[in-house]
Amino acid sequence: MSGVGPVEPVETVEPVEPVEPTEARPGHAPGTHRAAPPPDVIGTDSPRPTDRWRTLPPRVRITALTAAVTALAAAAVWLLPPSPSAPEREEPATPWPATTTAFRYTGVADNPSAGATRDFHFEVSVHDGPPVTVSHINAAPGGLRTRTTPPMSFTVRAGSAHRITVRITVADCSALPVYVNLPFLDVTLRNKHAIQHYSFIFGNRYSRDLSGLLHTACDANRALPSPRVRREVRVLTMWTRRVLANPAEADLHTSSSTGTS
Amino acid sequence: MRHRSLVILTSVLTTGALTLTACGSRDDDKGGDSGSKKTEVVIGVDAPLTGQNSATGLGIQGGVQVAVDDANKNNLVPGVTFKVQALDDKAIPASGQQNATQLVNNDKVLGVVGPLNSGVATQMQQVFATANLVEISPSNTAPELTQGKNWQTKKVRPFKTYFRTATTDALQGGFAADYAYNTLKKKNVFVVDDKQTYGAGLAKLFTAGFTKAGGKVVGTDHVNTGDTDFSALVTKIKNSKADLVYYGGQYDESEKLTKQLKDGGVKIPLFGGDGMFSDTYIQTAGKTSEGDLATSVGQPVDTLASAQDFIKKYKAAGLKGDYGTYGGYSYDAATAIIKAIGKVVKDGKVPSDARAKIVEEVGKTKFDGVAGPVSFDEYGDTTNKQLTVYQVTNGKWKAVKSGTFNG
Repeated sequence: MSGVGPVEPVETVEPVEPVEPTEARPGHAPGTHRAAPPPDVIGTDSPRPTDRWRTLPPRVRITALTAAVTALAAAAVWLLPPSPSAPEREEPATPWPATTTAFRYTGVADNPSAGATRDFHFEVSVHDGPPVTVSHINAAPGGLRTRTTPPMSFTVRAGSAHRITVRITVADCSALPVYVNLPFLDVTLRNKHAIQHYSFIFGNRYSRDLSGLLHTACDANRALPSPRVRREVRVLTMWTRRVLANPAEADLHTSSSTGTS
Repeated sequence: MRHRSLVILTSVLTTGALTLTACGSRDDDKGGDSGSKKTEVVIGVDAPLTGQNSATGLGIQGGVQVAVDDANKNNLVPGVTFKVQALDDKAIPASGQQNATQLVNNDKVLGVVGPLNSGVATQMQQVFATANLVEISPSNTAPELTQGKNWQTKKVRPFKTYFRTATTDALQGGFAADYAYNTLKKKNVFVVDDKQTYGAGLAKLFTAGFTKAGGKVVGTDHVNTGDTDFSALVTKIKNSKADLVYYGGQYDESEKLTKQLKDGGVKIPLFGGDGMFSDTYIQTAGKTSEGDLATSVGQPVDTLASAQDFIKKYKAAGLKGDYGTYGGYSYDAATAIIKAIGKVVKDGKVPSDARAKIVEEVGKTKFDGVAGPVSFDEYGDTTNKQLTVYQVTNGKWKAVKSGTFNG
């Protein structure tokens, strides 16, 4: 029972065949409901749809057609699959600068400029994507002072390389390790997508050359800080952020000479 | 009149909707079987899917599933439908070996992604090599798996069927040691490992890098996988006056160790490797994990534009596990296998020497994956040698240093 409206008695005039009990449904007692058998229809004399359509007034026909077209358009949007060629990503996959930039160590200068200073050569290349601006280079670990030639910052385009010299001066022996196993350069990179502070790690050759500088500068007085350098604790932080539409240039480090200790 | 108009309108709408539905069905058929039966190819997965390490293991399974779904959806290999067969090794080497045999014996399996653990891999490599079945691990970091036992003096590739998309502990251990000594300014470390291939190997490489830099190891100890009570170890660490604990092993033990350390009054950070880099670590250790560190292979996936689509699909599929650690690398490993299959299996016809040919093709892999460029060197190691140091900050892993090894 639905509880809607009065229940009126129904007297059937057609013979009713016995029915099998059926599962109770809400509002129906089991075994008491049976759908009327479908009429045995062979044909019909009723008007065809086209005849009915013609009999409708123009206003109704226009309304019906408009509703049908609107419904079909809505259904098309809902039912049809998206085009395979439609881009799935919300934003273009512009690579982050660290993923397209490579630093290659090419060697140390033959003639050391001083006992505690040496020039190391690198090649910076970008293999793909938009140009990358290198705005800051620090030679890890702490206790070293870094100066880059040519001065920061510079931009490298995809497919090209930029040669730089990183002059490293031992500033504080007490802050330096005995041996540098996996030395790296900390750099700041920027392209149109992001600014990243990133490290490029180098293997045996740079490790050997940099350790050579440390030994030359520090073996005699490892425990004694250089008199011209104050000791500082450097805290490295890695950060990455997207480039805004009009990024403030102040966000970039543009100094070409940096004390790392 | 009004009634008849409604009947007509309803008929028009129903007819239109049914017509469009039928159109949609036909379009689906074009991208699917289209009447011709496709060949089923299986990508095997071996990882811990229950118990120890299962959070990261499920991330591997999920990463492969997303890659296979993508391949099927995009009809990446015409005539082929890919399926995933994932087997649970429970982080036990013997189980991994049994799974390897099972996968080898299934003719439909043309490539395998896994395992998670280096120790498990050592028991699987030979099985796959004998059957010429390619295996790509997204997470194994023990150097000897690709470069042989004497990798420090002479590199020799032991198995031509084995590849990996994760870089090795030779870099990870050194990277962590450098960060601990030069950036954190730690000088006295207590080193703990779980006696497993991965954990003990990583701890050894960290120790070598840390002492070479000038640091001092003030104590060492070992734990067993599955241990939960570390009170004796906490006392040892406390008495050692260490300013850092380095842990070689998985998050299952280290998450309990760090909690017991801090609860025991030892307020020094615990530093581990990629086996510790899991959200489960923070969830279990709670606030006591704050300040702890872990290195992991690759860059954080959320900084990779290429990984955003993968992350979205992973989440939308409701897949379990931690996709952040190896999910992206698993996707790339599976894709490398699928691409290789595409060069060997034409129009659904699998040649009799397909497995051997697929090994050769995987060796030539070169594409941009979701976690970065994917290619392998002569040892089967990834050429993408990226590492990141993470620190627990405000209850989340935060990347504090990321770098690429340039050789």
